Amino acid sequence: MIKYVVAVLLVGSIAGYLNNNWARVIENTWISDYAFNGALMLLLFVMGVSFSMDREAIAEMRRIGLRILVVPLAIGLGSVLGGLVGGLILGINAVGTMAVSAGFGWYTLAGPLVGQLLGAEWGALGFVVNFLRELLTIMTVSITFKAGKYVPVAFGGATTMDTTLPVIVRYSGTEALITAFSSGFALSIMAPFAIMALASLG
Amino acid sequence: MLNLVVALIAGIVLGYVLRKKKRVNLTRATFGIILLLIFSLGFSLGSNNELLDSLPKVGLNATVILLFAVGFSVLFVKAAGKMVKLD
Repeated sequence: MIKYVVAVLLVGSIAGYLNNNWARVIENTWISDYAFNGALMLLLFVMGVSFSMDREAIAEMRRIGLRILVVPLAIGLGSVLGGLVGGLILGINAVGTMAVSAGFGWYTLAGPLVGQLLGAEWGALGFVVNFLRELLTIMTVSITFKAGKYVPVAFGGATTMDTTLPVIVRYSGTEALITAFSSGFALSIMAPFAIMALASLG
Repeated sequence: MLNLVVALIAGIVLGYVLRKKKRVNLTRATFGIILLLIFSLGFSLGSNNELLDSLPKVGLNATVILLFAVGFSVLFVKAAGKMVKLD
């Protein structure tokens, strides 16, 4: 399946590029807003149906309960610490790199917000780091899910409530739905606060 | 973000109502929609000139930061999962 995903991602990128820079066939928002959100809502609905028809998945969720919250917390802390270590190794301002990695993969937030707080160069970095996180999660899910069902969720960060969720569930199974969605949801809420708090250190 | 939560909960409720019915493999049927989602994701990346411009400039630094961020996320989630016995 992953080769179809990669191929379609590539075709989509080329189509988006041509439509934007060469011949405007349709408005960008028709695809990147309406088609995107429509597909996503439909997928979440369908995944919700198959989840609650799946006894094992429900039993698994009951067993884990509120301990599920440690997943996004660990991912959040790990991301920020990774930003710190990366910044120290690269020899650039570690406050900036921590703020950048506190986007947790949500690049449409991290790019503009970091840019506003720390300047355009950091904004560009925030954009790219988080976009690559989303891309990496999709590209590697066929391998990472073998290392445990929380591994692709850790890769995905905040994106596991939307873009990367269908792909993760496809590999890890329906029982990963609630873990992935709730982790992505919690990290999406944490991201703007974490970015602002970390940026204020610098 | 709220619309996604609503869609998910609506699906869960419908699935609960239908839980006694014969199970259909819905994940198979959704492959086409996943591809539509991935296509529109690619489309919004390709049409984002700001992102395309900054990719070559900051790509290397971004990759280093990303690998550490993802690596520590995996380590932390594994460690925390052991502590609270998630598996």
